[in-house]
Parts: sequence; C-alpha cells; structure tokens
Amino acid sequence: MTKIVLAIHRPTIVAISGSSNKTFIRDEIRKILEEKGKTVRANPKNFNTEIGLPLAILNIKSGYNSYRAWLPIIFQAFFAIFQKNFPEYLVLELGVSQKGDMKHLLSIVRPKISIISEINQRYVESFSGMDNLFLEYQYLARCTRKDSGALILNYDNARVRKLSKKTHARVEFFGKTNASGIFQIKRIEKEEKGQKFWLKHNNKIQEFFMPSFGEHNVYASVAGKVFENVI
Amino acid sequence: MFERTKDLRLSVIKQMELRASKFPDVISLAQGVPSFDTPSGIKRRVELALRNGVVSKYSLSPGLSELRELIEVKLAEDNMFYDFEKEIIVTAGSIEGITATLLAITNSGDEIIIPEPTYTSYREVIILCGCTPVFVGLNEEKDWSFELEKFEKAITPKTKAIFYCNPNNPTGTIYSKEQLLGLAELAKKHNLFLISDEVYKDFTFARKEKIFSLAEIPEIRKRVIRLFSFSKSYAMTGYRVGYLHSDESIVAEILKVHDCLVTCAPVISQYAAMGALEMAEKDVIFFNGEYLKRRDLVCARLDKLKHIFSYVKPESAYYVFPKIIKKDFDFGSLDAPESFSFRFAFWLLEKAQVAVVPGVAFGPSGEDHIRISFGRTEHDINRAFDRMEKIFK
Ligand SMILES: Cc1ncc(COP(=O)(O)O)c(C=O)c1O
Repeated sequence: MTKIVLAIHRPTIVAISGSSNKTFIRDEIRKILEEKGKTVRANPKNFNTEIGLPLAILNIKSGYNSYRAWLPIIFQAFFAIFQKNFPEYLVLELGVSQKGDMKHLLSIVRPKISIISEINQRYVESFSGMDNLFLEYQYLARCTRKDSGALILNYDNARVRKLSKKTHARVEFFGKTNASGIFQIKRIEKEEKGQKFWLKHNNKIQEFFMPSFGEHNVYASVAGKVFENVI
Repeated sequence: MFERTKDLRLSVIKQMELRASKFPDVISLAQGVPSFDTPSGIKRRVELALRNGVVSKYSLSPGLSELRELIEVKLAEDNMFYDFEKEIIVTAGSIEGITATLLAITNSGDEIIIPEPTYTSYREVIILCGCTPVFVGLNEEKDWSFELEKFEKAITPKTKAIFYCNPNNPTGTIYSKEQLLGLAELAKKHNLFLISDEVYKDFTFARKEKIFSLAEIPEIRKRVIRLFSFSKSYAMTGYRVGYLHSDESIVAEILKVHDCLVTCAPVISQYAAMGALEMAEKDVIFFNGEYLKRRDLVCARLDKLKHIFSYVKPESAYYVFPKIIKKDFDFGSLDAPESFSFRFAFWLLEKAQVAVVPGVAFGPSGEDHIRISFGRTEHDINRAFDRMEKIFK
C-alpha cells in the first residue's frame, strides 16, 4: 500500500539515521524546508519503528493509540492513495533496533538525501556487535540515490566517516574536527539565553545563535545548514 | 533514636484511606488517583520492550537517552530549552525528584517557604532533609492566589527556596504569569531557588492557553527546578516515573543524590514513559475532557449544598477544596484530633461512609476545609453526593 502511494506521488525522501540525534535533525530539516515554502511531512515524534514508517508516509495516526482500532486505519490507508495534497518532501527518521531493519525500511523508501550523525553503543544490545550495526548504516549509504542525491555525515565519528567509502552518492561532512572541505564547528559558547557557535566552510566563518542548549542541538543545526547547501 | 524520622508523619491521605477501608461500603473521594487505566498504547509499548529484552538492566543514571531526547523535544514545544544530556533527569515519580532536589540544594537548618494549603508530602520531605518548612498562607478570597508581601516577610537569611505546586493541589487553582514573575523577582533579590512542581499541568479543562512556567525564562534557569510526573497526566501512578530539569550546574548535583536513592528510574517504566510521549496525546485530551465533566458535576452538586460549603471553582487538577461554612454540627463522641476539619471528615466517614481529606492536612490555612477528589467516576461522585445530601438535610 505504502509503496503504491509513493510510486504515485513521488516525494523527495530525506532520511535521518544513526544511533542518536535523529529527532533534532529531523525537526531542523522540516523547519528549513517549510521556510522555503515546501510542503513537508515528517514522521511523528520518535515513532519510527516498522509500523511507524508506513503510517507516517500515509499520514495516518497509529493504531497503538487506544481510541483508534486497526480496521479504520486500513480504510484510511486505502484513501491515502488519492490524497490531493501529498507533500513534496518526506523527512523520515530511520531507526534500526534489529538486524535487517534497514533493509526492510529501504524496501519501502529510497532516500535522495541521507543524514547520519552518530553510530555508537546505544542500541548495540540487540546486535551482536558494532560491526553488524555498521552494516545496517552501510546499507543506507549504498541505497542513497547517486543521481543528485547526497550523503551528509558527521566527520567526528570514525564509523560514520567510514560510510563515505560505501556510497555512490555525493558526500558532505560536518563536525568539530579540523579537516579540509568540511563544515567545521569552530567553537561553541554557552550563554544565558542559549548558545553561540561559529561555523567554518570554504574559509568563511559565520556566527550563529540558538535558544536551545547542548552540543547535539549545534550538530543538528549544522546538519541542517549542510542540507540547505546541498539542495 | 530516630532523630531523622521522629517528626515525620505518614500522609494523612493514606491514614484516611486506611480508616475508610474499615467501612464496608465506603466511597472514597480522598486519594488523588485517576480512575482510568493506563492508555493501551503505553501498555503495548511496555510489552514490546519486554519482548525485545531491553528492560532487564539499569539505564544510565539520568535515564534512557531516547526518553530524555523526547522530553527535550516536548519541553521545547512548551518554550523550555534544556539539554537532554546534562539538564534532564528521569526520576522514580516526581516525589523522588523532589527528595533528590531538596537533599542536593539544602543544608540542614535551611528554611523552605511553601505557599499553603498545598501537597502534604512537601512538609515531610523538607523535615527529612533536616530543614524547616515555613508556611505562607494563600488568599482564598482572591481565588487562592499568593500575596508577595507575605513571602517577603517570611524570608530570613536561612531561606533557601520557595517550593510551590502549580496547578495547586488541593485547591485546583493556577497561579497567574504576573504572580509567578513577582516570585521570580523575589527569588533574584534574595538569591533563592524556585522549585516548581507541575504534575497537574496537563489538566486545564476548557482553558485554551497553556500554563506558564518560570522554567521558560532563560535568565533564571539557574534558580528554577521544574518537576513533572507521568503519574497523573497518563494515569500511571503505579509506574513511578517522572522527570525534572534545570540548568546543568544544578542538575549535576541533583544527579548525585538521584544515583544514591534509586540508581535510575525503573527501566520498564521509562519505556512506558516513552510510549506516553510518543502516542498518548489523544488520551490526555480525552482524560482532560472527562475531568472537565466531573469538575462541572462536582460543582453542580456542591451548589446544592450552599448552606454547608462555599468553594473556589477549580481550574485545573482534579480536586476541589470547599470550605465548611456551617459550624454547628453534633459530632458526638469522635476520637478525632482537635481539629474541626478532621472531626468533620471522620464524622462524614462514619455517617455517610464518604471519605474525604481534612483540609488541615494541607497546611494551617486548610483548616475548616475538606479536599474532594474527582479523579473518581461520575457514578461514584453522584453516589457520594447523594449520601451527603441525605445527612445534611
Ligand atoms: C502536587 C503533587 N506533587 C507530586 C505528587 C507525587 O506524584 P508522583 O510521585 O507519583 O509523581 C503528587 C501526588 O499526589 C502531587 O499531588
């Protein structure tokens, strides 16, 4: 069902993946696209499991919710095919918690742009080690469209960096590491009302301010700036 | 012996419950527990976590990162910006958060100001921490709002914090933004912490605007510690899960105490909390609608007892705190403590088998009142009031 809907409407798919920071990046990307006047649909909250993804695409609330049963959802799904205002962009968090998850998710969607921020121990419990987890993300890197597609990666994380070797798509990096060609976060300063950071790219340094706190928000914001640059 | 515990009391509410349980056909409007079961979406999230085998081990002390991320996002929607890595702790119910906070920020001998009537356990935790609760009465004539001059008068060199509950239990009232900003000025002037317990903030009935929180103001984030609980909003009192947030400089200290007390909040309940944030928005709206109906029902029934009670209409939570205006009851020979509200509550229990909480339990200004909880079903509320009407004829 979901596949038919996608085949008819052909939205541009932006995938956000990695062990953490997906939600913040998703919100950033959505905001950027909306500011550009694009129509966007993002998956709700953190609900990005197997059932969550098809439902997000079809814009249907989950049957997990106690006041809705599954049957009406199936009917809704049927009508989703005829949705008039299907969005131009789908921004989706692709979470993996078990081996094969990515393969399953990518059998439903084919991302044009993929953003991966972290690969770390967080979900490793259900994997027999980091290498297996890496394979999931490698699959995403490989499946990201090569024609005008892009892979946006966090340079600071060695595993994420390695993904650049596994793709045919264009690659852009961001991070704190001093490496040439990347979108480099030079400095972060906490202030009373938020945080300031300085971003260097092509020998140009720009200053930014945000009302939220924490390094992950700076990374999300920078991932957004790279995305803006790519599209 | 028992220096630390000798002045502590077991909650009056639980005492009332215990006493009430001896009557065969009692209707309890005493305990502040939602009548609903936990939404099924949350339960299924827990089942999924159980099946995936991810609940058997401790989480990080401040809680699962995924959950704290969700909390950060939720807070940002409400104009509060806190870093999930360093500024948010998932607690074992808000009461553990309250205890950890007070242990972290006080020295024994400090004074903590609490506007009252308010939640009974504040006094106990403050005493447990070796501190002194200083009660400042709210103004019932002005819908239980606070009078800043009274706070200013109560401040001494030993005052460490002002600890309030918004929306307030037992009055069901909400402090206005202006009032809270006044409190913030006071805290700045006297270098005090502000502890804001907002466990009822999701129940605001028909009110459109959100409840303002001082945690929205970045300039005072180093003073404000805000607490929330999943207990009430999502009918999850048994799960024991909530959270607190503040500036990292404070949270780092609270975290040390939290680690001593519980290591981490129950992991299975943390998954339930994720379920709550991910997919129970509709359930909260539904609960809110039900509580609105019950609020209106309780008020309508109280209006028929105008010769006995007067009350301020609650705008939030699921409590009403009527004042007992008739004083000449014949209580007979009750073995109740020397307080009118206690004797009234005991008498009501015996005569009508309806359990309520004596107002004095919530602080000295609560005397002459009772707290009625409308967490119970409309059926129970009606039956309880039918009985009361009979004895007040
Ligand atoms: C105002 C207030 N704060 C905190 C609590 C404690 O709730 P919990 O520990 O379940 O989060 C209660 C419970 O009745 C309450 O009324």
